[in-house]
Amino acid sequence: MSLVSGPGRAGLSTASLPTELRLSVAAHVKYIQALDNRKDELEYHLTTHLRLNGVYWGLTALHLLGHPDALDRSQVIDFVLQCQGENGGFGAAPGHDPHLLSTVSAVQVLVMCEGLGELEARGKNGGGALGVGRYLAGLQDRKTGTFRGDEWGEEDTRFLYAAMNALSLLGLLHLIDVEKAVAYIVSCANFDGGYGVSPGAESHAGQIFACLAALSIAGRLEVVDQGKLGRWLSERQVERGGLNGRPEKLEDVCYSWWVASSLKMIGKLHWIQGEKLTKFILECQDTEQGGFADRPGDMVDVFHTVFGLAGLSLLGYPGLEEVDAVYCMPRKVIEQVLGPREEIPIE
Amino acid sequence: MASHGVPRQATTEPRTEQSRLKEQKQIQEYTELVDLIERKIAERQYTREVLELTSKLLIKNPEYYTIWNVRRRLLIHGLFSKSSDLSSPSMELPSSSQIATTTTSPADSSSSTTNTSTASKETQSNLASPNPGKNGTTLDLIKADLDFVFPLMVKFPKCYWIWNYRLWLLEEGNKRLEPEVARELWNGELSLVGKMLTRDSRNFHGWGYRRKVISELESPKLHGKSMVESEFEYTTRMVKANLSNFSAWHYRSKLIPRLLSERSASDVQRRLFLDNEFELITNAIYTDAYPYAQSVWFYYQFLMTTLVDSIGHLTITPNFTDEDRIQYVRKQLVNLGDMLDGAEDCKWIYNALLEYTLALCRMENRPPLDAERQDCTSWLAELRKLDPLRAGRWDDFEKTLRWVEVDYRLASDVTGVEL
Repeated sequence: MSLVSGPGRAGLSTASLPTELRLSVAAHVKYIQALDNRKDELEYHLTTHLRLNGVYWGLTALHLLGHPDALDRSQVIDFVLQCQGENGGFGAAPGHDPHLLSTVSAVQVLVMCEGLGELEARGKNGGGALGVGRYLAGLQDRKTGTFRGDEWGEEDTRFLYAAMNALSLLGLLHLIDVEKAVAYIVSCANFDGGYGVSPGAESHAGQIFACLAALSIAGRLEVVDQGKLGRWLSERQVERGGLNGRPEKLEDVCYSWWVASSLKMIGKLHWIQGEKLTKFILECQDTEQGGFADRPGDMVDVFHTVFGLAGLSLLGYPGLEEVDAVYCMPRKVIEQVLGPREEIPIE
Repeated sequence: MASHGVPRQATTEPRTEQSRLKEQKQIQEYTELVDLIERKIAERQYTREVLELTSKLLIKNPEYYTIWNVRRRLLIHGLFSKSSDLSSPSMELPSSSQIATTTTSPADSSSSTTNTSTASKETQSNLASPNPGKNGTTLDLIKADLDFVFPLMVKFPKCYWIWNYRLWLLEEGNKRLEPEVARELWNGELSLVGKMLTRDSRNFHGWGYRRKVISELESPKLHGKSMVESEFEYTTRMVKANLSNFSAWHYRSKLIPRLLSERSASDVQRRLFLDNEFELITNAIYTDAYPYAQSVWFYYQFLMTTLVDSIGHLTITPNFTDEDRIQYVRKQLVNLGDMLDGAEDCKWIYNALLEYTLALCRMENRPPLDAERQDCTSWLAELRKLDPLRAGRWDDFEKTLRWVEVDYRLASDVTGVEL
């Protein structure tokens, strides 16, 4: 899956757009399918380090668009398994070093492709889910509860969430110290109700998503100051309808996901204006060549495409497959693995 | 990550044959370089030449995290230990069997554990040696690498891998160099990160890096002492340069408890400190367009939290009596009322008035008075008018307001203020 940006460009000025915007489903499907055919572009080669994440973004987008079979299943599974290292972790592409972030993408893709059986048959580090689980669990700092991204030691609340995401999908959460992980998240809380990369770091919508989703998986959302956090999150919406990630920053389509899913997890999605956000996201699509950009007028890419679509799905855009706010995967896939999901009550 | 803020090209017309050929050549050069590095590593060539090749590749693509890892392994397993050889002949390259496992493939993860153990063995021998040549070439290598990384950071200030690699280098310095020498390196980082934050005062990588640099400079292992006063002063400068710098306000909020504790501030001094902070933020709010900027209001919220929130109580004035706190909140309500004059279209003021009026009722253990209830209703109407994006939040607020008439303790969820 290529991470090449473009060729499309998000909608031009809003004035030239039809009053009622529609999602260009066919164009987006075609755009994602064509991503791996762009090896004659330098950017294809410069983005190899995101290839496996790219497969997750593309495949999730296709699921949400109602075209889960638009990529060849066996090719996808073969590619994913080629990325696995001897220690059970996955690198971003064959030959790249294992990293927690590409490992969670691998697990998510395998789950969406119903490919865990192939992992059992062909996986490394003792094989199967357990081989992956051991790798992930080995990255937890047992003293603090947080996770490193790889052997070199970078720590970030994103890694903590990613590990819990993958381990819960594999049914292996018991391999880690969940209580310590929860305590670590609590230590990252700020006075505004938000969470940062690590204790002391400024609240950031991406990290808030990670911390809330990890707490959801642990069943411990009650430790969140939901009133304060809801207030901070709702202030991410700017006049144009889009959302930013921190106070007084520019809006960006990817925050349609990080912010809106966080609001959803605490039952406060109605604290922002869904219609205006929907309109903003739709303005960020290229209706002809497919794909979404961060803002209208910019180049599209698959990262913003999946988070734009996931945002639309969360907002109940008609015709889209329902997304799970915690896993950023189709809800029905998650229910197949984990059983029925609890509805978060709107207050 | 892909294309944040990449403006669209002027044209989407098909590429010309000439530009296509040029791109093909670039691709070829790039992939050949990748292949060459992989081959050299497979051949166990942990040399300066290969280090140079990784430099060349990382300049083209600093997101290639595996190559940063290759570079780490080159230094740990080849160059650092070679540099030690100069003064400590017993230090040799890792045994060939170790090399075999560490070099067959940089991506082969079975090597990961081996690498780590090899590294720690080396480190131990280095430290154990009475004259390990620690400050010789190892220092030169680290310095040269820091110099190599800096322009990349300036060009790609949001690339996680570059910041991480830089930290890793410095941590290797901690392990391999005398504390005074390592400390000098960290000192350099403080001025570097200052420059980075001048270029982009909201870069959260930069702020995180700054916290790390400070904690190293303060650490006993580098013979450090507290820098909380100068850091607090730094946040003052940063917010005065730009009142919308929420990153600096945030950092300030985090420094305050330690600042006051290290000053052994008395209750009187703490009260004065709180007064000064309120004065600072009130002046900020009165500046130009800042009543409408949310950063200052979040810092205002932080200060109010120290009065109305049981956990926040400990932050600045832990020994305030309930009466003290109530008096301060009342004073702020008057202050907020004054701010409305000339800023009647500022939603933040109405929001604060609502929130802290209800907080006051809870602190005084009573339902709102009729006048307060009427005020709250009219402030809420203003909020609905001025801030329709958050209509759902105001709906919930209104429901709570109705409930408050029955039980004033219920307001916390919507106002975000807890008792």
